[in-house]
Amino acid sequence: MAGTLETALVQTLNGVQFGFILFMIASGLTVILGILDVLNLAHGELFSIGAYAGIGVFGFVIGVVGPPSGVLGGVVFVLAVLVSVLLTAALLLPVGTAFEALFLRAIYDRDQVYQLVLTFALLLILLDVKKFVWGNTSLRTDAVYSAINSIPTSELVGLNYPTYNVFVILVGVAVVAGLFWFFDRTKTGRIVRATAIDREMATAIGVSTDRVFTLVFALGAFLAGFAGAMAVPPTAATLGMGTNPLVLSFVVIVIGGLGSLRGAFVGALLVGVIRSWMITLYPPGEIAAPFAIMALILLVKPEGLFGTWGETA
Amino acid sequence: MLEARNLRKSFGELVATDDVSLEFGREDGELVFIVGPNGAGKTTFVNLLTGFLSPDEGSIVLDGDDITAMSANERVDAGIARSFQVVKVFEEMTVRENLRTVVLTERGKTWSLFSMADGHDDVERTVDDLLSKFRLDDAADTVAEELPHGDRKLLDVAMSFGLDPDYLLLDEPTSGVSTREKEYVIETVVEVGREAGVTTVTIEHDMDIVTEYADRVVALHQGAVHGVGPPTMLETDDELRRLLLGVGE
Amino acid sequence: MPERVETDGETRYRFLGVEATRREAVALALGVVALFAVPDVTRLSDSLQLGVIHQGLLFGFAAVGLNLLLRHTKLTSFGHAAFFGTGAYATAVLAKYAGLQSVGLLLLGAIAAATVMAALIGALSLRHTGLYFALLTLAFGQLLYAIALGQSALGGSDGMPIRPGPANQPLLLGTTFEPAVYQILTYYLTVAVILVGLFVMYRITQSPFRNALDAIGQERTRARFIGLPVRRYVWAAFVISGVYGGVAGGLYAVVRQYVRPEGTLFFLRSGDILFMAILGGFRTLVGPLIGGVVLIFLQDVGQDVTQYYEFLTGVVLLVLVYGFPRGIVGSFRSGGVVSERLGQLRREPSAVADWARSAVRTTERKAVESLSSLRIILFGVD
Repeated sequence: MAGTLETALVQTLNGVQFGFILFMIASGLTVILGILDVLNLAHGELFSIGAYAGIGVFGFVIGVVGPPSGVLGGVVFVLAVLVSVLLTAALLLPVGTAFEALFLRAIYDRDQVYQLVLTFALLLILLDVKKFVWGNTSLRTDAVYSAINSIPTSELVGLNYPTYNVFVILVGVAVVAGLFWFFDRTKTGRIVRATAIDREMATAIGVSTDRVFTLVFALGAFLAGFAGAMAVPPTAATLGMGTNPLVLSFVVIVIGGLGSLRGAFVGALLVGVIRSWMITLYPPGEIAAPFAIMALILLVKPEGLFGTWGETA
Repeated sequence: MLEARNLRKSFGELVATDDVSLEFGREDGELVFIVGPNGAGKTTFVNLLTGFLSPDEGSIVLDGDDITAMSANERVDAGIARSFQVVKVFEEMTVRENLRTVVLTERGKTWSLFSMADGHDDVERTVDDLLSKFRLDDAADTVAEELPHGDRKLLDVAMSFGLDPDYLLLDEPTSGVSTREKEYVIETVVEVGREAGVTTVTIEHDMDIVTEYADRVVALHQGAVHGVGPPTMLETDDELRRLLLGVGE
Repeated sequence: MPERVETDGETRYRFLGVEATRREAVALALGVVALFAVPDVTRLSDSLQLGVIHQGLLFGFAAVGLNLLLRHTKLTSFGHAAFFGTGAYATAVLAKYAGLQSVGLLLLGAIAAATVMAALIGALSLRHTGLYFALLTLAFGQLLYAIALGQSALGGSDGMPIRPGPANQPLLLGTTFEPAVYQILTYYLTVAVILVGLFVMYRITQSPFRNALDAIGQERTRARFIGLPVRRYVWAAFVISGVYGGVAGGLYAVVRQYVRPEGTLFFLRSGDILFMAILGGFRTLVGPLIGGVVLIFLQDVGQDVTQYYEFLTGVVLLVLVYGFPRGIVGSFRSGGVVSERLGQLRREPSAVADWARSAVRTTERKAVESLSSLRIILFGVD
């Protein structure tokens, strides 16, 4: 009895962890969609670049800090990992900024199809950039995963759950809180939301929409890279790892509602948990279940669970 | 007869349409003008009648049938046509193509995949007729987005008229049009409407036009009906004058 | 026999409902001749392969279907490979599990399957427009890919062969042929299908139905208010475009006699199909077909030259978006980049120098602008 309960809990936690990573990716995508009216098809590639680059950064930082020993060592190590992740994500900032400022901006007032072609072009280019820089084989960074797992957390409550996963969930909560705080409480965040709701009004009160757009796209890229760095330690970085998260993010956005952060959060956790249960209960359902939920939402509540911040088309 | 019965529509706190009951078309071809200050709920009312919005309460009845649940395109089939305050026409088509599309749709020919769009003589004749009625002959082969504003307004009205409606609901057909052209637009509308016996309901801000052409005037204020009567009402009702001339105009 | 029609001082010829100027008619005739000549030409040349061109035509045909949605209702579908793949896999499944051997029957099966799939996906997607629509079509396309990949009955990542009957080859007119002959005969079958399909699409684009689609694409609200049940029309257009994809996929399966998830269903394939429509010129009828041949050809050449051919494709896309938005065919038509420039040159040969100068100036300006934007973002300095 306790065994199945523990399994259920572990599966749910796995789902929650995946959900948080998915949220980080989907939130950037939905915010870019809601504010710039751009569907960034290259978003999955930004995520995977975060993973690849993260491996390199981890390797360097771990080399400097050394494995965790004792409580202080443990804390320092965790901080080091966090710093690495932030650094990796920061690497994506100029990528996002450059793409928006140099390429996207020129085609905003054109037929929507060109914007899709453009982000698709970026996807293709990034695919081969990854191949060029990191080669064809997959890369791993087991050091981080095992090192963090050696720090006891869930063991303290009698549950044998990898500490790294707990780490991801905690960081995820912080990211969610941070994003909501940013958009609700800070001036910049509110300006961004205003631009989403009424672009002309925002310009009228002196907001530079150009700068807002670049900022939002860069933020999205940052979040994607962050997610990539967080996601890579337990698994490996592969060339094709960006596709699945991209498509799942789409599903999350449909479930949650275009441009809605709250929706992305609920949608991501829902998809993550259900997917996790499916893997144990009914493996073929892993792929189908998220889409089934998406189809249901499309039929029953087409604007998503939470609609949008701004105006719907 | 087209009736609105106790229509209510709110957007959050704002009551845009407040228990409005009106009837149109008791006599064929009557020309009714809806007046009121900005924000009085005139466009919302037209949106409710045409199916662009659904009322929170109340019903819309056409010749005795409750059409409140009917979709916008079904109401067009039922005989209700409208034009828009901000002109909505098919921008990349020429004037002729715009009208042709409307008439083809009205005649039910748009499911034809293999006939030639310009090959239906009856349609072409109707289009030519509309072009001359609305004095758009010279602009017939101009692409809609290149038309001067007055012609765009006329095209919008012509398209609605091309639907062969029983009821024509026009939302400020003369707004943004130069004073000289205003007469032209409204005269054309009145002439064509009267000749065909179409009941025309027009939202209008220009009181001179209203006084000159209206059979009946409906005054709205803050979503509710302030008064209904002949155009002389505009001179006798002091409160109405204050509302219309004092606020915003 | 073709009849002459005079409109606005331009002489046009009308034949079977197709109207064209003399120039267009000649181009059309040349095109048809070229299509039929391909097997002979490829036999003579090493760099041109029948298989590559054939494949390009098939994907291009799918793109022609996609273009109905793109050009008229202005809906960008990023999941067209779903129909191509459905057609291809339906053919494989029918060959393997239903024992169908005749090419004709297999193709009918492909069409039926693609129609159902398009009806289904369309019903779920068509309440939306723009980017949301693109997102949904991409998602559904990927779902099909995942299903094909995951089901062992469909061959998983290895895919499925189409080798029905004792001869391991679909029957054309009841007989089997030597592989080389089979390739040529199926090519001519494709040409026939393409010509019929193009003709049908042409008639559709001259019809009242097309007016309705244009209305929906240009001003959706107004379309509702002239009485069009918008969703029904979009659905119909979606299904028609899906059928083209399905036919192309079915032929693909019959020709290559093998289908894999990557080549037929993966969303990069959907991107390719969309790309073909734009490369060829999505405001034209035959543009997507030409785009298909050119793209597949380029990808084939690219793969031989470098392992980074996706990068090359991406760069070509960039050039397309910024330099030649109307695509290959479109740029030659009036209003397109090439025809405008040629016209200018004819009038004023010295224009070349002006172009060079203005190009340099524009590049300088853009570089300065971009650098200052980057600086502002990174350092917040105005």
